[in-house]
Amino acid sequence: MRKKVIVKGLVVTLITSLMTISLVACGSGNKKEETTKESSQVNIEAGQQKGGAYEEEVTITLGRQTLQNAKLPDGDTYEDNAYTRLVKDVYNIKLVDEFEASGDDYGRQVSLALSAGEIPDMMKVATYDELKELYENDMIADLSGVYEDYASDYLKSIYDSYEGRALDKVTFDGKMMALPGTNVDAGPSEVWIRSDWMETLGIQVDQDGNHAITIEELEMVASKFKEANLNQAENVVGMAFAPWLTSGDPDGTYSMNSIAYALGAFPKTWLESDGKVVYGSTAPEMKEALSVISKWFEEGLVDPQLGTRTWDDISALLSNGQTGITFGTWHIPDWLLNNVRVMDPNATFEAYGIENAQGEVSCKHNDAVAGYIVVSKECKNPEAAIKIANLFYDTLVTSNTIEKDYPEVATYIANGVDGSTRPFNIEVNLYTSLLDDYSDVEKFVSGDISIDEVRTTESKNVSSSIQKYLENPTGAEVVDWSKYHSRMKGIELIQTFTENATFNWITPIFPQTTTTMETNQANLDKLEEETFIKIAIGQIDAEEGFNEFVKEWNKLGGKQIIAEIEEQLK
Amino acid sequence: MTNKTAHRRNRKQLTHHLMMMPGMFFLLLFSYIPMVGIVMAFQDFIPAKGIMGSELVGLKHFRYMFQLPDIFKIIRNTLVISIGKILLGTFMAIAFSILLNEIRKKFLKKTVQTIVYLPHFLSWVVLASVVVNMFNLDGSVNQIVTQLGFDKINFLGNSKIFPGLIIGTDVWKEFGYSSVIYLAAITAIDPGLHEAASIDGASWWKRIWNVTLPGMMPIILLMAAMSLTSILSAGFDQIYNLYTPIVYDTGDVLDTYVYRIGLIGRQYSFGSAVGLLRSIVGMVLLVSANKLTKKLTDQKIF
Repeated sequence: MRKKVIVKGLVVTLITSLMTISLVACGSGNKKEETTKESSQVNIEAGQQKGGAYEEEVTITLGRQTLQNAKLPDGDTYEDNAYTRLVKDVYNIKLVDEFEASGDDYGRQVSLALSAGEIPDMMKVATYDELKELYENDMIADLSGVYEDYASDYLKSIYDSYEGRALDKVTFDGKMMALPGTNVDAGPSEVWIRSDWMETLGIQVDQDGNHAITIEELEMVASKFKEANLNQAENVVGMAFAPWLTSGDPDGTYSMNSIAYALGAFPKTWLESDGKVVYGSTAPEMKEALSVISKWFEEGLVDPQLGTRTWDDISALLSNGQTGITFGTWHIPDWLLNNVRVMDPNATFEAYGIENAQGEVSCKHNDAVAGYIVVSKECKNPEAAIKIANLFYDTLVTSNTIEKDYPEVATYIANGVDGSTRPFNIEVNLYTSLLDDYSDVEKFVSGDISIDEVRTTESKNVSSSIQKYLENPTGAEVVDWSKYHSRMKGIELIQTFTENATFNWITPIFPQTTTTMETNQANLDKLEEETFIKIAIGQIDAEEGFNEFVKEWNKLGGKQIIAEIEEQLK
Repeated sequence: MTNKTAHRRNRKQLTHHLMMMPGMFFLLLFSYIPMVGIVMAFQDFIPAKGIMGSELVGLKHFRYMFQLPDIFKIIRNTLVISIGKILLGTFMAIAFSILLNEIRKKFLKKTVQTIVYLPHFLSWVVLASVVVNMFNLDGSVNQIVTQLGFDKINFLGNSKIFPGLIIGTDVWKEFGYSSVIYLAAITAIDPGLHEAASIDGASWWKRIWNVTLPGMMPIILLMAAMSLTSILSAGFDQIYNLYTPIVYDTGDVLDTYVYRIGLIGRQYSFGSAVGLLRSIVGMVLLVSANKLTKKLTDQKIF
């Protein structure tokens, strides 16, 4: 009868037992690996700077967020790869994965671990609410002391570059409860257009040369691409969007953010002026933005399967050459558009911003923090978290001799193995790092500096990749093609907009979850998602449907949430 | 003498009781002990504080449930889909078992039976991608539709069609397997009745109507009553793998809704409250169905 409860109990029991089994399995597997890997000697100088290696092997269990295609070499796994072996060699820490999951599943795993009340020694949590819940349930350790004692000066200077915005967020009652991942501004959601197709068709956009195109120009390109169908695809699509349409991240990939922003709408964003809080999705500008999509849908410029086309389906549309326009953050050439190049060696992309009537490109600031590494209260060596952070976010980044000291890691970087294979799947970068790093690359490409003068290891790799691409664009490796596009197109666009003051920066607020949000947010999100997609595909009228949505949204708790956020701001 | 038999019988029963022990133990461990968790529905449950430490809040979560603006729509969707599945599924299974029973060639009978069984053993995670590929705008079904001169139909993105798609695909997946029990019921009917009816000049239809169906009736009622217990669960894994926000209107059911709000939003207490309500409704329905069957056929399930 009490099926749900029984099922719940069963699930928890099952998962716990599975975990135990997998732990046992992993444990025995590792022992074998160690003896063979012991021979790979690595310079352990780095480890000795701050605390150094443990005399006796320390085992740390982790929750790992994985990626489907991490490009790991054969035989290497998330649990046993160059990075985890490096941690073993440098610090004598053995890393054991308590659970591994990708994407949304990771969040579910964290939820389950939280509800079971047993978390691994260290894990990443994605949201502030999870961190808060962990703190309130007294499950995580205070890191203030170990951070003070063990963090390298460079690591501290990184966090300080956010002027407290990063560390304040993980400080509860004066105690530092997590190692925050930093989040530099990612820039806008860029419009990526197949430049080889534009060339073939002789399409001209961006007459004023500011790298921003108008919505009309975008529409024109989409209709010409659709008409020409250069790839002779069976079902050609003008523009495709993910079912959720809008994203809270300014650079949301496959979202309609760039179009909305150009029309002055900031979906899924809390804005404040004079103590008054507005939710961007309910502003009248959002209605306009949705009308644009809905008009395009009716004209057939937008994917007829909008709403049922999943993320993977859209990626497939791109690589099959069924569509030549997409929207996304500056680094999608590295992990999405690269598949286009694999299928079509002639494919090239150009990145544009979408400008508003004043010729500006609107963009909003990110939250300074993305992801948190928490350490379980039960963990006997909380300082290990700081040591690992020193190694990955200081030593490996600043070292000039990485090929010599850590050859295996250098190979990983050169082959583009995904950063999620590092023990902590967070980024810790200086606030200005994106453009700082890029300035080196740019100077190197234009011949102003030599490769040795390029500061970070990653920039060096990127620079030589780009050089290889430029020497032979059509025959270049896909990885070189990707690096060229993500930097010389993607970041270059942000750089240009910054230099020419094309950006119109919006600073949103990032409220804490309020009581009404806790109970009503899921429902409000459902309402928003459902209404927006229905307006987009013309199932409900934009004018009427949107006004109705705003009314409902306020009634179902939106108004209350706004009042609560205004209270927070006081 | 009598004493001795009674003694022997007792000893025999003792062995039987001992054999039941492991089963009872697991029933207790996995079904009864977790029921303590029902308390969560009346608490603001916080995992680390546990069931003992969390604050009691009475019926808060139940009140909240019925304040949710969508709850009645969601209950309606759930009922439409699950009643549709029960009715169509039962009808298909009965019809299929009667037809299959008419096949005289044993080899053919077995083959057909195995083929219609198979989908039951595939998980919805796998089947969903098959269904999506068949029914999306570029899929094979739409190719047939356009060949016939009609416009393409967005099966997965049309809230009017979606419940039908869910019911149809579920019936397709399950009818073969559920026909097994009906097939057994048919074989249990005394062939003498059929022979007598034939001699009296009853046609095939008449025989099915007056001999086969009445003979199956107790089983049909039993199965229908049993399926009522799950009336508020319309098949989570199937719908979860096929729905999108466009079809929330008719496709969002209690399970998917609770999943989105409860587990992803980590509102454990609310999730338990909904689960408890669903179980209570299922239990009430089962008991009433049991009473009703007793009245109608003089047979009881329990």
